[in-house]
Amino acid sequence: MNKTNSNVSTHALIDSATSVWGKYLLGMFALALPGVLLYHDAHWINIIAFTYLMAGVAAAWNIIGGFGGQFSLGHGVFFSIGAYATARIYISFDLSPWLITLPIAVCAAAVAALISWPTFRLRGPFFAIATLAFNEVAFVLANHFDSLTGGPRGLMISFKASLGNMIFKDRWQYAILMFGFVALVVAVSVALRRTRLGYYLLAVREDEDSARASGIDVLKVKLQGMALSAALTSVGGTLFAMYLRFIDPPTLFTLPEVGVKFALISLIGGIGTIAGPVLGAVLIIPFENYLRAEFANSLPGMSLVILGFLMVMAALFMKKGVYGLLLDILQKIKGKKGDAP
Amino acid sequence: MDQILNVLVVGLLLGGIYGLVSIGLNLIFGVVRIVNFAQGELVMFGMYGSYFAYNQMGINPYLSVFIVAPLVGLLGVAIQRFVIQPLHAESNMQIFATFGLLMMFQNIMLAISKGEAWSVGGTMGTLVWDIGDIKVSVVRFISFAAVTLITIGLHFFLKQTIAGKAIRAVTQDKRAARAMGINVERTYLITFGIGSALAGLAGVLLTPIYAITPGVGGNFILAAFAVVVLGGLGSVCGAYIGGMIVGVVEAFAGFYIDPVLRSAVWFLIFLIVLIVRPSGLMGQVGAEEVGFREQN
Repeated sequence: MNKTNSNVSTHALIDSATSVWGKYLLGMFALALPGVLLYHDAHWINIIAFTYLMAGVAAAWNIIGGFGGQFSLGHGVFFSIGAYATARIYISFDLSPWLITLPIAVCAAAVAALISWPTFRLRGPFFAIATLAFNEVAFVLANHFDSLTGGPRGLMISFKASLGNMIFKDRWQYAILMFGFVALVVAVSVALRRTRLGYYLLAVREDEDSARASGIDVLKVKLQGMALSAALTSVGGTLFAMYLRFIDPPTLFTLPEVGVKFALISLIGGIGTIAGPVLGAVLIIPFENYLRAEFANSLPGMSLVILGFLMVMAALFMKKGVYGLLLDILQKIKGKKGDAP
Repeated sequence: MDQILNVLVVGLLLGGIYGLVSIGLNLIFGVVRIVNFAQGELVMFGMYGSYFAYNQMGINPYLSVFIVAPLVGLLGVAIQRFVIQPLHAESNMQIFATFGLLMMFQNIMLAISKGEAWSVGGTMGTLVWDIGDIKVSVVRFISFAAVTLITIGLHFFLKQTIAGKAIRAVTQDKRAARAMGINVERTYLITFGIGSALAGLAGVLLTPIYAITPGVGGNFILAAFAVVVLGGLGSVCGAYIGGMIVGVVEAFAGFYIDPVLRSAVWFLIFLIVLIVRPSGLMGQVGAEEVGFREQN
């Protein structure tokens, strides 16, 4: 290993807390900026709010998918647990979503641990296929148990705007809510990345057998990562339900829109990095909205063709995502300047 | 009793369809371990191909197999060469790339068809043979017979011919296969091509049975993976039996439990088998690790 490389890696390992959280604050400030500037623009603030939400959920997926290297395509299950449970309890018992978000997230984490416990025996593509099957089972069940989920007709939440109901008159209020969510998830990621569990997850991702050989309880680490990821995803589901105020099985279980979308956003941004999923959402969601509006009448589905194409290209040529690309460019510029620090 | 027998026949014929759509994936995923989520879309292309051949050129839906299947096979070769081959060591990226292809193919057809469901006209789809009290749909029986023949053919191809042996050798140990003078890249191209052509063939045979929509492949893809894994990775006959299991389970669950839940039942069976015995019912233990262990 040459000198510059070792310098870089030790530097990355011992980033001080102040520097990391400083970067976090800087990033969050940049992320909040478009929301603050455009809060009066009804069209844009809608897109921005949704971007924040998807950034948060993608970052939640990234905890197990990116840090842990377990490519779940079934996160739609946890997302819909949050959405359905919130909507059902709010409609039937009129409880404030604020009160039930956390208990529901805990339930989602428990479900995640329960269904992942056997599935984590599977590796690579087999794990992905199994999670895909979970998503399909959940889709069928959501259609079947219509007393709980409203079946194919879905659940509608009536519009009673108040802070306690988590229903707002203005879109910018939702944007603040979604921003709070993404700030929370990214903060959890930053903190996690500095804990023992975070390093264990990375070790499991890099080489499961070596991780086990060095005394890591691989299954436990994966389960903890999955539970945390699922809980945060469920919170995203809660916000999604209160934001749209209408949910049905297709909106919650369509893979290119939900389960795979989380992974896609992370891939475009940079899987396994903290900034990656947020960056991915910032790039993808507004772009997708633009494409949808552009092609809605002339060529239905064109937006998904382009997204699919991007996905193929990213898998082929940009495995580390936009964030990785930026880092590489930065590295090159630094390299050209010479070895002087 | 008659009722049970009738449901069983319906289930076996359905199993034939599942076997048919998964036979290509059986080669691509089961034998050479390439994760191809776009397999259902290759079936869909087969259906559209057969539809166009019938509508534009008046070719009998079954005869168009000889044009459509090779074309879909060529598409498969192109996918293998330009998308899968650069990603041969990374199954996670294969998942992403082929899912991207799935989204592209589905929505390209959505843009072309404007979301309308098409179907090949005529009465062939409704023809029924009465055997005693049991009704057998003719078009479904044809696909059942086809999958049986193809399974037998594929089995002998893999076990007896040099090309088939080369394919299995490449799966088991790429480096050793190369040392024996096998052109590994070409073997992959051939395998993916055949697997895709079989998907196209399945699509053609299904044209009289299903309405043709851009999303039709989505109905098949998980079933296909389930069939391949259930039967046993790398076991052609296993996949045939896996297809029958899925079909029969779905028919019985749909009849006796609830039509809505019918697929959930075999999803659960699939999950249980995947978890308890990932090498499948007829696969060798540890088969799920072969081909992923050392993909260099």
